[in-house]
Amino acid sequence: MPRKYGLSTWVSHIHSKTRGRKHFLLDSSNEHPLNAFSLQDGLAGNPLAKERIEPPGKERPSIPMSEAEKEESTLSITVVGASGDLANKKIFPALFALFYEDCLPENFTVFGFARTKLTDEELRNMISKTLTCRIDKRENCDDKMDQFLKRCFYQAGQYNSEESFLELDEKLKEKEAGKLSNRLFYLSIPPNIFVDVVGCASHRASSTNGWTTVIVEKPFGRDSESSGELTRCLKQYLTEDQIFRIDHYLGKELVENLSVLRFSNLVFEPLWSRNYIRNVQLIFSEDFGTEGRGGYFDNYGIIRDIMQNHLLQILALFAMETPVSLEAEDIRNEKVKVLRSMKPLKLEDVIVGQYKGHGKGGKSYPAYTDDPTVPKDSLTPTFAAAALFINNARWDGIPFLMKAGKALHVKRAEIRVQFRHVPGNLYKRNFGTDLDKATNELVLRVQPDEAIYLKINNKVPGLGMRLDRSDLNLLYRARYPKEIPDAYERLLLDAIEGERRLFIRSDELDAAWALFTPLLRELEEKKIFPELYPYGSRGPVGAHYLAAKHNVRWGDLSGEIYE
Amino acid sequence: MAPLSSINCHSYSYSSSLFSSSSSSINGQQFQRINFSSSGIPKRLLPAKVFSQSRKNSYPDVVLMQDGAVAIPVNPLENETSFKKVKDGLLSSITSAKELKETAGFDMNKNESTVSITVVGASGDLAKKKIFPALFALYYEDCLPKHFTVFGYARSKMTDAELRNMVSKTLTCRIDKRENCSEKMDQFLKRCFYHSGQYDSQENFTELDKKLKEHEGGRLSNRLFYLSIPPNIFIDAVKCASTSASSANGWTRVIVEKPFGRDSESSAALTKSLKQYLDEEQIFRIDHYLGKELVENLSVLRFSNLIFEPLWSRQYIRNVQLIFSEDFGTEGRGGYFDHYGIIRDIMQNHLLQILALFAMETPVSLDAEDIRNEKVKVLRSMRPIRLEDVVIGQYKSHIKGGITYPAYTDDKTVPKDSLTPTFAAAALFIDNARWDGVPFLMKAGKALHNKRAEIRVQFRHVPGNLYNRNFGTDLDRGTNELVIRVQPDEAIYLKINNKVPGLGMRLDHSNLNLHYAARYSKEIPDAYERLLLDAIEGERRLFIRSDELDAAWSLFTPVLKELEEKKIIPEYYPYGSRGPVGAHYLAARYNVRWGDLGIEQ
Repeated sequence: MPRKYGLSTWVSHIHSKTRGRKHFLLDSSNEHPLNAFSLQDGLAGNPLAKERIEPPGKERPSIPMSEAEKEESTLSITVVGASGDLANKKIFPALFALFYEDCLPENFTVFGFARTKLTDEELRNMISKTLTCRIDKRENCDDKMDQFLKRCFYQAGQYNSEESFLELDEKLKEKEAGKLSNRLFYLSIPPNIFVDVVGCASHRASSTNGWTTVIVEKPFGRDSESSGELTRCLKQYLTEDQIFRIDHYLGKELVENLSVLRFSNLVFEPLWSRNYIRNVQLIFSEDFGTEGRGGYFDNYGIIRDIMQNHLLQILALFAMETPVSLEAEDIRNEKVKVLRSMKPLKLEDVIVGQYKGHGKGGKSYPAYTDDPTVPKDSLTPTFAAAALFINNARWDGIPFLMKAGKALHVKRAEIRVQFRHVPGNLYKRNFGTDLDKATNELVLRVQPDEAIYLKINNKVPGLGMRLDRSDLNLLYRARYPKEIPDAYERLLLDAIEGERRLFIRSDELDAAWALFTPLLRELEEKKIFPELYPYGSRGPVGAHYLAAKHNVRWGDLSGEIYE
Repeated sequence: MAPLSSINCHSYSYSSSLFSSSSSSINGQQFQRINFSSSGIPKRLLPAKVFSQSRKNSYPDVVLMQDGAVAIPVNPLENETSFKKVKDGLLSSITSAKELKETAGFDMNKNESTVSITVVGASGDLAKKKIFPALFALYYEDCLPKHFTVFGYARSKMTDAELRNMVSKTLTCRIDKRENCSEKMDQFLKRCFYHSGQYDSQENFTELDKKLKEHEGGRLSNRLFYLSIPPNIFIDAVKCASTSASSANGWTRVIVEKPFGRDSESSAALTKSLKQYLDEEQIFRIDHYLGKELVENLSVLRFSNLIFEPLWSRQYIRNVQLIFSEDFGTEGRGGYFDHYGIIRDIMQNHLLQILALFAMETPVSLDAEDIRNEKVKVLRSMRPIRLEDVVIGQYKSHIKGGITYPAYTDDKTVPKDSLTPTFAAAALFIDNARWDGVPFLMKAGKALHNKRAEIRVQFRHVPGNLYNRNFGTDLDRGTNELVIRVQPDEAIYLKINNKVPGLGMRLDHSNLNLHYAARYSKEIPDAYERLLLDAIEGERRLFIRSDELDAAWSLFTPVLKELEEKKIIPEYYPYGSRGPVGAHYLAARYNVRWGDLGIEQ
């Protein structure tokens, strides 16, 4: 079964619709997708076609695409900022993993671009240190690695120099050797040079006959205005279709699974509204601080760094109405609608915190302001909790609580859905007076140790009638021993295939900023002092009071944490 | 709250003393209630005193509901109207029973009450394998009242010591609490006695009565008779026990085991005969499946979880499957079975009871009468089963790996030309607002490939499923399914669709599951323990009321008669196989696919 059957269906459809290119199809090194692709292309006009699996060749593409044409296409991936941390830790390894899994097209080239002077050999040497093979498929690893590294090249240059990009273009052309050229630029660089690079790349290194797309990473501005400005500048050089705004949380396995759970299981659909759901909690925590790298963070703070993007995106996916289809535009339309149904955050619905130094077991952990890259008087929140509301028919009155923090006691990201209590519960007496203790809860643990579990009440085996909350659970590690791909792999592959379901559209971004900008401004103008919490603790207690105000109890701090 | 070890059992101390006069400290009582609320005991108390009146006389047709409650001297089976009155009377008596409970004497010295449990048919198989071990387990768990006596009664001549010797061979201690085991066993055995006698001899029962009195030593005496004897001597034994060995000042209860007749008529006749000597409230019809842990849990799942309630109807449930299989045949003990067949032996009672619990409306409370009222309603909303909705089978011999497995008719105790079904599958329908059109499929068989009892709930497919194409064309493959595995290896799991981790979008059926052995290391008590304890405490939630029994028989009697009159030949299936394929065609007719025979099992 071709792994990407379903996905490629959408891909081809999207391509044909939004890009208007019929020759985008990639010649793939994967053994299956060729058929799948051509087949899917044939079906593109009818996305609802149920017969997925048809004998290859039975139906030819409506717009013919010869074998020769396919073989002549090539893909060049240029990592701009190749010597940086993200590139080394995430991007190159993800590209290698895709190559290892035969997900990259047959002809591809990887270019590193940065200011540092490096030879191809030096780049390869640098990259090779971070490549790993999947745990479950170790054979041929070195072989594969060598093959991959042979396709990696380096070009040194200034980020704002058209000349440097022209040189890059020449090199790219050389590798493309006259084939149909598709080019992907991954901008792994600070936001202040985004626009320069995009300008140069677009003017000097765009593909002349294939597509050119650019992946950009957060931050996308620091408020509505700066974000709007960034979008406007990018759009001088690129169309919306060419911009892939990455939010790597959307590439996480369980976030992807969220829609599958909702829309392909009858048992969840009836429950997905204010009638049954009491509150939703989106929780992110890291067990380390800025650790000497607080320079960037201090300018943004946890709300911009985590909430406004990662958590809000998950919230939108969680709460959106059923999209018309699984196509990117349909999903993103629904997400925008949710975001636009939300009230901008009010100051009183937010708690901010900052970690302070803490000595534990003879070891002392630094305060945020002990970080040499952080101003001593910084008020930047390293923790925040917020209550959000969606004013639509489905969610009116239901608190969506977010919590994100650094230097907490655990590293975790999860979605918790607390259901209402059973009206007229026959077993009321068995729960004592606190009915809320007996409610069902659905937990999607995004990381670490992916799991889905549903807390249910059941009887403790034995002669009496003692009730217990236990979990109906699915622990990914136990069910799927295969390694779960890193979010970057999925997102890079999607970008290569032109699938933009998991990327953020500019109107989504605007809507997201519109929710947070007034609050962020108020926090900064009023110089709201963050509640200090010890490094490694459970965060400021203010979060509990915020929850209490909305009649919520944080599910992750209730003492019965799922191990 | 009480410590776990004894948490289950407490109610005894006062449920046995509730019958007393209505003077006493309400405070004490309330305190008890609060204490026990977390172990669910209060409901146990309630029925206890429905019985608690002293039955000084046992005039056959006086139905003494209880002290002060309406007494209707009418045989309830004579006509429906009077029967309803009895029920009404019963309900109102519960109200007054509640009051009674509030005021019942708790300060009464509990040492003054005692329970005598007489196992009639003590030398039989069930007694040895289930009843005595269950009694010992209850004793071990401190669930029996402080003063109790166990009597074995049978025709064989035996001394007390011989009985003890026999009993001791089958006693085991809980895996998780081995300490003091042999000590406890000795203590228990010291309370066991034997009396030999005929089942139809008033004289022998009078002797038993004397012995019982001796052990009761003037205490308030409560007596429980467990009839572990063939059905043809039920009535004789009940008659003798009731007239010659009833308690003079406490309660007297009788536990009876299936078969409760073999059709509507014989069952009604049995009930009628029993009621000559006993009130309905004294009769505890046991269906040990109702004592199974996961069957008990069924109601908890339904009624204490918000997430299941909205789904529990025809709107979301496509079909329900009740499956029972044994991996062995009659093995030389087919004499009894051949007279009944699998439909009477398993379906009409065990599976139908589970179905009723599954499908009933929310009861007013967890009280026995409220639950049983709802169960009766479900049963009465069902259509009698039609012949075309039933498939029957019988196992034939089979050779596998050099071993020959016998056919049913190879059993020496079975007639060579027997048509008795050892397998049956049936489709049932409940014609009420909640379940109209939803097939409830039952399947039960002996000599199949595995041993299993489970409830499978298949949900409808997702309307307008966005992920349609990921399932291929068969949408039914993508539906959710809730499985409650009653035995072996108790578990609850919910099949859901999720994404296979990886770069593509491949969907997979996986399970959200709760595996009891993993979550609860404690041994799950045997169904008989729970049921015996309930009978001692007068909790009749898990016992079958006569109107339930009537309703159950009226569903099955026509088809059973037709099967026998038309001499329908069962479909033969090899010993150890998955049963006759006819079951699949029956399922297919109602657009159902058996969940237990899928590829993924």
